[in-house]
Amino acid sequence: MHSSETDKRYVIFTSVVLIILAIFLYRLVWVQVIDAASINQISRDARQATRTIEAIRGNIIDNEGHILATTVLSWDVNIDPKNAGPVVLKVAGQKVAFSKEEIAQKLAELLHVSKEELLSKMSGTDRYANLKKSVSAATYSKLKELDIPWVYFDLQQKRHYADGAVAGNLIGFVGSDGSALEGIERMMNSCLAGTDGKETYIQGADLIRIPSSVKVIQQVKHGSDVVLSINSDLQYSAQQEMAATVRRLKADWASAIVIEVSTGRILAAAEAPSVDPNNPSGVQAQNRSSRIFRSSFEPGSILKPVAAATAVDTGKANPSTHVIAPDKLRMPWGQYINDSEIHAPEKLTLTGVLVQSSNTGLVQLGGKVESKTRYEYMKKFGMGVRSGVNFDGEASGLLTNYKNWDRMTDKTVMFGQGVSLTPIQTAGIYQAIANKGVRLSPVLVEGCMDKNGSLTKTAVDAPVRVLSEQTAATTIDMLEKVVEQGPIGKTARIQGYRVGGKTGTAQIAEGSGYGRLHAVSFVGLAPAENPQFIVAVTAFKSRTVSNSLGATPGFVAVMKQVLKTYAVPPSTTKSKNIPTRWN
Amino acid sequence: MSVLRQIQPIQPILPIAPRRHLRPVTTRVQPVSSRTVSSRANANSFRTALPANILRKLIIGFAAVGLLSLVANALCDTAVYKISSLKIESAALATKTQIIGQEVDSLRSPQNLSNSAKSLGMIVNSNPVFLNVREAKVLGSAIPASISASSGVSTNLIANAAMTVKSDMSNFGKKTVSRIDAPTQKAISDSSVKSANLDGTKVALTTVGIPATPTN
Repeated sequence: MHSSETDKRYVIFTSVVLIILAIFLYRLVWVQVIDAASINQISRDARQATRTIEAIRGNIIDNEGHILATTVLSWDVNIDPKNAGPVVLKVAGQKVAFSKEEIAQKLAELLHVSKEELLSKMSGTDRYANLKKSVSAATYSKLKELDIPWVYFDLQQKRHYADGAVAGNLIGFVGSDGSALEGIERMMNSCLAGTDGKETYIQGADLIRIPSSVKVIQQVKHGSDVVLSINSDLQYSAQQEMAATVRRLKADWASAIVIEVSTGRILAAAEAPSVDPNNPSGVQAQNRSSRIFRSSFEPGSILKPVAAATAVDTGKANPSTHVIAPDKLRMPWGQYINDSEIHAPEKLTLTGVLVQSSNTGLVQLGGKVESKTRYEYMKKFGMGVRSGVNFDGEASGLLTNYKNWDRMTDKTVMFGQGVSLTPIQTAGIYQAIANKGVRLSPVLVEGCMDKNGSLTKTAVDAPVRVLSEQTAATTIDMLEKVVEQGPIGKTARIQGYRVGGKTGTAQIAEGSGYGRLHAVSFVGLAPAENPQFIVAVTAFKSRTVSNSLGATPGFVAVMKQVLKTYAVPPSTTKSKNIPTRWN
Repeated sequence: MSVLRQIQPIQPILPIAPRRHLRPVTTRVQPVSSRTVSSRANANSFRTALPANILRKLIIGFAAVGLLSLVANALCDTAVYKISSLKIESAALATKTQIIGQEVDSLRSPQNLSNSAKSLGMIVNSNPVFLNVREAKVLGSAIPASISASSGVSTNLIANAAMTVKSDMSNFGKKTVSRIDAPTQKAISDSSVKSANLDGTKVALTTVGIPATPTN
């Protein structure tokens, strides 16, 4: 009887425990399995946060792998003014109390902000105040060492241009929000910018992320690198020369382009004034972009080789064809074509016309070719269309259809008036002449290189045969005589090298006429026996020198640097003997 | 008298009350041998032993699983927090790397090099001259550089806001030259390259002077 009672109680107790366990188990299954999704959702909604993983913008590098633009980390320094007060900091292992003013003084020294400004931000009951945006890693590190409890940091990306204004006009810059605003940064944004990723995490009551809860829901794809054709050392050297040229000539601006003849690669595209992309607001707005691609103006006499080459290529003239060039040539309809100087009629050959840069001589010889043909040659030389680089905001210049040329324009286009070119288009014309008559699309961006080093090359326009190889060689011979014998051309000589080139002193259109100042330029190639490089120098609105004498020193300096950089040995041959005058 | 009355019991039947009092129990000691256990006692013992065993095992099982899961969870969390702390350390190192990288960038920028070269009295000689070692020839005209004849621009004219660190060329002669020359002389005097102590030529990335190669 006794045993039966005990067993009974035991069974009851066990049953109760089992029932309770069953209830717990049922609840567990209900919570963990049956209703898990909705409970998880409620929990996630309450504590889950989503964070964007910012894609790191790619680098811009030169043709030797030197980084011109990269992305670094920077920090916004913020405070909680409500809690801003005296703090105890460790100094040399000892705890030292600092007053609010002393902390403000320390912060002012590190942030280069006035103490008074900081103190005003540190007062009040707000929970947020920004002391300084985008401080460097060095400053951040020093601030972090202070370990002030009410100072906190927001991490962000920042573009860093280690070489400052070197190629600044080409590279461009990004805004404070990271958006691409100018130059290559903008033009190649699709390559440089990656795709942001996303991750979710659970945060604790103190809003701190729980590490084990992090879950990547979208992988970040970092940006690729843009490889430029630019040689940054050469670019720096050319920019130095252009900066000196602007100072010497008191010009508005100056530019120098270096093109590798056989490839069309732009090795330098230097401008002065230049912009430091680290601080674009430090220069005026008109100096923040690339004039080499955006500014078009009447080129003047540097266009004469086009008319001369066209006449030779069409068989209408040769380097020795005679002409009498007066200083003033009366057109049949009564208007006059003038040379830049008053002189007696000169007996010149076509070569002599280029050497003396005679407008009247060229109009007579170049005019032997009908307008339509000259127009088509100009188009083949790349005039009137964008260069092929497709630089951000690039200008196409102006070449109106020959059918719309009036009688005077039909003549003036031969010596560079009535048309307009960008400096890169001008350099492209000489590249075609130097490259045996074949014009190549200039290359500024070699391509887009992913993180594995795979380069996707930039598409380039197909080469265009402009002149026959023979005509191109003949034109180079004539250009060489310009440097050998030309009154200004002589100043473009480089000892030991055969150099060809052409001067240009272009009037600048202002209103309905021309202004007093000129665009002076010199475009040359070297070595003339086997041209490898084109250097095109332009100084706009020169105020101290009104002809190409203002441009040739810059040309010589840049070309010498090019020849040194690429170890081009001095010439061992002499130029052809071509008459420039006749009797 | 009815039939019903005739069969009425002599004593009234009282309702059975539940026994709520304790009664003395006599225990009967029986041999322990299972063989001697009566069939009823055997059945009772089985009924009580089975739930007790199950319960015990369940409790032990739950406790073991809970303990294991606790240990596994703790280990996992430790690893996660370790990863998290390594990430923080990695970020700190990345910051240091960035600081040093920017310092190096600044020192090697063309603007800094140009200024440093100028402070050492160097000027650009833009005249291209080459040496043909095989034929022992000089190609080009070797004209010494001079300030008046030089067409190159020696003074830096190009802005660079990123140039936060500059070379201190006042220490150039003391630090770089002496550090390279001393062991070289020692090596020569000892007539043994192996014995040359190159410790003094180690390069540290500092903000003074252009970093020099330890190569003699």
